[in-house]
Amino acid sequence: MIAYNKTWLHNLGIVKEAKQWCRHNLISPDQFARIEEAYKSAFYHPNYVIRVLLFLASLIALAGVTGLLILMLDGLNNETAISIAALVYGLGSFAVLEIVFIKRGNHYKSGVTEALLYHSMGFTIGGIAGLSDFNEHVVIIVCMLVFTFSAVRYVDLISTAASMGMLAWIIFFEMYEIGGIARQIIPFAFILIFTPLYFYFRHQKKAIQNDLWTNCLLIGESVSLLLVYAAGNYFVVRELSVSMMNLEISNGDDIPFAFVFYFLTVAVPVTYLYAGIRFKDVVLLRVSLLAIAFSVFTFKYYYSLGHPEITLTIAGMVLLLISISLFRYLRITRNGFTREDLLREKWMNANAEAFIISQTLGGNKVSAEEPFKMGGGSFGGGGARGEF
Amino acid sequence: MHTEKLKELLSQKFITEEQYNNIEPVISGKIISVFFELRTLLYLGVLLFSTGVGILIYENIGDIGHLISIIILFTLTLACFVYVFRRAPAYSHGKVSSHSPYYDYVVLLGCLLFISVLGYLQFQYELFDEGMGLTTLITAMFFFFVAYRLDNIAVLSLAITAFASFWSISVSPQKWYTGDFLSSENLYVTAMIFGSAMAAIALGVDRKGVKTHFTFTYLNFSILIFLIGTLTGIFENYNSYALYLLLLYGGCAFCVYYANIRKSFLFLLYAAIAAYVGTTYFLSDFVLKDPLLWFFYLIASCGGLITFIIRYKNYFKRAE
Repeated sequence: MIAYNKTWLHNLGIVKEAKQWCRHNLISPDQFARIEEAYKSAFYHPNYVIRVLLFLASLIALAGVTGLLILMLDGLNNETAISIAALVYGLGSFAVLEIVFIKRGNHYKSGVTEALLYHSMGFTIGGIAGLSDFNEHVVIIVCMLVFTFSAVRYVDLISTAASMGMLAWIIFFEMYEIGGIARQIIPFAFILIFTPLYFYFRHQKKAIQNDLWTNCLLIGESVSLLLVYAAGNYFVVRELSVSMMNLEISNGDDIPFAFVFYFLTVAVPVTYLYAGIRFKDVVLLRVSLLAIAFSVFTFKYYYSLGHPEITLTIAGMVLLLISISLFRYLRITRNGFTREDLLREKWMNANAEAFIISQTLGGNKVSAEEPFKMGGGSFGGGGARGEF
Repeated sequence: MHTEKLKELLSQKFITEEQYNNIEPVISGKIISVFFELRTLLYLGVLLFSTGVGILIYENIGDIGHLISIIILFTLTLACFVYVFRRAPAYSHGKVSSHSPYYDYVVLLGCLLFISVLGYLQFQYELFDEGMGLTTLITAMFFFFVAYRLDNIAVLSLAITAFASFWSISVSPQKWYTGDFLSSENLYVTAMIFGSAMAAIALGVDRKGVKTHFTFTYLNFSILIFLIGTLTGIFENYNSYALYLLLLYGGCAFCVYYANIRKSFLFLLYAAIAAYVGTTYFLSDFVLKDPLLWFFYLIASCGGLITFIIRYKNYFKRAE
């Protein structure tokens, strides 16, 4: 089912994990060296920066190849023939990916493989879409199938998220096409479909034979939770009803079942948070934080007092208070939660963090010639974010 | 990772029983670290609060509540700095780790509030005649001091961006697509000089062994500013850009050299992209006139680069 050598994937997983332990002094460098020696994999799996470089270079090179082919097929005017050519080109690219890079070159997520994978998927989908005369039902279903195939076979995380997104789109689109009562119950259909799906992913993640897909399942879990929340969110439902279903809401009126959505907007994030703490589930915790933030936004959007700066200040103060008191509270481990950085994510090193901070807060405001006047100016030479 | 794998490592004697007992709770989720989540909340809190306070002060200038809010702002800023300087560990040229997980964020909050304070003083009393320029410079200098004294890389980044904006260089990717990045007259020359000067100073300081972990941040900014300066130079002087192209290659050569000795591939990525854009621009002026040639060029150049990287993969390995 998986395109890569399973033993090597297994070994690579162990070595990567052991590297984290070594970095956190849980094991000695000697031990790490022995583990690395015993769990060998012949994959070509370069570091992130090189991957980005290879990805960009591959995309440009592929654009060149595609351009040459288009020049060669210049005489082709028949739409069906072009679609078939695209389909063959897409499938051929899959073959090149499998045979040349994965089988012979031992590439594993090297940047080249991702570029070639997206390229192949694009042309395959484009070809089939052309053959079906761009029938919307066919296109979205083919998209979902191709993305799912890529998620399962190449363990690709972006494809996983995309296939979840396509599934949601299919449900929405098909029910929208049926019309009438089906349109009204779209939110409930989402909740009824994605809740079991969440539990399914969560269950599958625990099974040892799915170990290689852990990250894909994690994305499936998070996206399901987000979709369940979004389906019940008052803002999402109301704005989509207005813009897609031509619902007109006069003053004093509200959307159908409004109280249900008010309730869900509050209840879902709280449930996530409670469950996250109760069952010690990081995915639930993280999604609940996002959901709470969006719920606050939802209520502020419809019941604003017209003082965004006071809201910002108070929200900031609340966040500061909560996080600092939690930091103090979790000085000792409680209920299994700790403030200590156990195995920190690889990409969050101090330098990346500093760069993010400088970009979001920092003085990226050219100010030498700017007059400091009411309304148009901005506070702070080196700092303050955006225009006030 | 499943505990089965850990058991496998234990049974094959790669790790000891004690280590197994240390790692097992983390793997199985018996202990969960919320370090990352709490830091994100803290960061968001600092972001929202300092932005909100900035607007609040600005919008209420002249009101009765204004005086109270100004007093609160000053007190808060002072409180932040009193807290951090009182608890500050002794200065050292090396890395100093802060004693609590939120210490660095109090430093950051203090610095951001400081911007509001200075902006207010400038607005209300016009302390500095020349307008915003001098305020920016003072902000930058103060941030440099805080960054070195309290060993805070985030504040260092703020200091560098503030210092760059004193020279009218806007350091932000967000500016690229709006097109006003280095657009005004000859600003790219300033950028090139600024970039190379800062890199030179940073390397000099690095050699003396002062805060060597700051060097990456300095170089990251100066290389980006320099490379974008030269690229802008090439695009603006489309008749005579040979000098800028040579300067671009010089910058890229430095990146490759530095990336090699430090095994820091981010600079290699910058160099590859900048050199590719520059070279392609040059070639499109002289050689690449035909679409067929273009496609061959794209395939040959990028294909060549890919083959080179894969062939010499050991060269591109990170030092562990």
